Formats: sequence, structure tokens, C-alpha cells
Amino acid sequence: MYFSLSELRVMAEDIQQKLEKYRTAPFDARFPNQNQTRNCWQNYVDFYRCQKALDAKGVDTAPCDWYKRVYKSLCPLSWIEKWDTQREDGTFPGKI
Amino acid sequence: MAHQAHAYHMVDPSPWPLTGAIAALLMTSGLAIWFHFHSTTLMTLGLILLLLTMYQWWRDIIREGTFQGHHTPPVQKGLRYGMILFITSEVFFFLGFFWAFYHSSLAPTPELGGCWPPTGITPLDPFEVPLLNTAVLLASGVTVTWAHHSIMEGERKQAIQSLALTILLGFYFTALQAMEYYEAPFTIADGVYGSTFFVATGFHGLHVIIGSTFLAVCLLRQIQYHFTSEHHFGFEAAAWYWHFVDVVWLFLYVSIYWWGS
Repeated sequence: MYFSLSELRVMAEDIQQKLEKYRTAPFDARFPNQNQTRNCWQNYVDFYRCQKALDAKGVDTAPCDWYKRVYKSLCPLSWIEKWDTQREDGTFPGKI
Repeated sequence: MAHQAHAYHMVDPSPWPLTGAIAALLMTSGLAIWFHFHSTTLMTLGLILLLLTMYQWWRDIIREGTFQGHHTPPVQKGLRYGMILFITSEVFFFLGFFWAFYHSSLAPTPELGGCWPPTGITPLDPFEVPLLNTAVLLASGVTVTWAHHSIMEGERKQAIQSLALTILLGFYFTALQAMEYYEAPFTIADGVYGSTFFVATGFHGLHVIIGSTFLAVCLLRQIQYHFTSEHHFGFEAAAWYWHFVDVVWLFLYVSIYWWGS
């Protein structure tokens, strides 16, 4: 998935609006059932992947904040702490 | 002297069910003693008793059937039902381990990295030794069918050769699998991947050894003229069991080795 710099700029403006209106994680049809573990995991991983990808392009990583907001809403704090520590140690099992 | 007026087999009293039950008791409690007090004596005793029970019980069945003629058609039918039911129970046994595998691999947890194979696991290449193993077992299915037809057609020498070949292929599978186990880059302790892999393939390997032993007994019996072209149920039971083992491998190969990589 590759976007031009101007497309990224437009998307960044839309993201800002979405972030301002954010209350909590919206319904995600990819995770329709009661067990929302995967929803938390996916957004956590997507945030850091997004950050890594946009950093590599040298572009502002603000659009990634959507994923951060969602995982902060959904994930248990202990999971976030555990995964953050694993990332620092280099033992995080997910692919970023 | 009274003769039975029916075709069924009223078995003479036998001590082997009791010794078998005692063996089961000694092995299970022996296992607990081994875990807690580091002594294998009780368990070994149970194992020896089990082996003696199996040898003598089955020897008696061969005496009753082959030498004394008690295995009339209705009796043989009962034995067929029995073997089919037993194999069915084994199917359910393996079904459990396949359930465990699919439970863990279809929805891999965050601890595994959300992927299958889990992060850090290098699975075996399904197109190397595992594929050879598949060919070996399929070939053994052919040779055991050849053996069956040889027996039915009264071809003594061919029956012996094809049965021996089947057993050799079984040993070849076991040797290859043992080498794979030794060389594998992961162990049973490597998370749920290791657990599902080694428990499922391990029990399968045990069944290959059991099946090979059953066939070996049939080989000895064939050499000693036990089987006739019309009546050789012991062999048929062994052949059914062998085909079952082959089918389980095929499912293992497709699910764990191929899809699971």
C-alpha cells in the first residue's frame, strides 16, 4: 500500500478531524464477537507498524495516532506494559 | 459328554483379564511413584506383567481359533465387529489431538505473535523427509494389500515376501521419524507448537510400532501355516490397523506438516 506525499497530507487532515471527535473505539466489523483480544492486538501492532513505515519515509506519523487511541481504549494496561517491555527487550513476538 | 448346540465360543476361564487389570493398576500407580519418589520398580513390574498378559492372552486366542477350531463364521463376525469398534475408538483418540492442533493454530494468540507457526519456530520442510515418510507409508499400504491377495490366492512365498516388505517399510518410517525427532530445531517444550506437534506425531509413531509388531506376528504365523486362503482374520485385522495408521499419517501430514508450516 503506497501513497503519494500529497495523498498523505490530505489523509493527515482527515485523521485530525477523526481524532478530535474520538470518544472510544468504534465497532470494527473485523472483530464482531465478544472476544476482542485480536482487536486490541491488531491495533497495537498496526500503530507500531504504521510508525515504523512512516518514519522510514520521513513523513509525519500523526495518522498513526488513530491506532494508538483504539488500542489505548481496548487493551488491558498490563498487556500494553508487557508488550512495551518486550519491544524494548527485543522479545516482542509480533512482526513490526 | 455334552456338545454345544450352537456355533458360538464359550471361552474357558482365563487368568489374563485379571493379570491385565493388575498390570494396569501397577503401571498407573507406578507412574505416580516414579513422579514423586524417583523409583521405577513398580511401573517396570506393571510393564512386564502387561507384556506377559498380552503374549499369553493372544497366544491362547490363536490356540482356540487356529488349533481348536472355535472361530466359526459367527465368532469371526464378532471379532470383526470388535476390531472395527476398537479402530473407531482410536480414530476418536486422534481426533482429540487434531482438535487441539486446530484450536491453537486457527486463532494464534498474542503470546505466539498472532501467527502460525509461532514466532521463533522453524517448522520442518514438508517436502523433505515428511514427504518421503508419506511415500513409505503409502507404499506399505500397497504391499500389505499385495500380501492379502497372496494369502487369498494361496501364494505362500509371495505372501511372506510382501508381508516382510510391509514390515521393513514400517521400520524405515520409524527410523526416518526417529532421525527427524533427533534433528528437529524445536522440542516438545517449545510452546503449543511443540506440544501439538510431538504429542500428535508421537502417538502416531507409537501406533506405527504397534502396527508393525502386529504385522510381524502375522508374518511368523504365516510362516508357520496358521492362515488358510479362506480364513486369516488375524492378518485382516492387522491390515485394517495398518491402513488406519496410514490414514492418520495422511491427516497429520496435510494438517501439521503442510498447512501448519
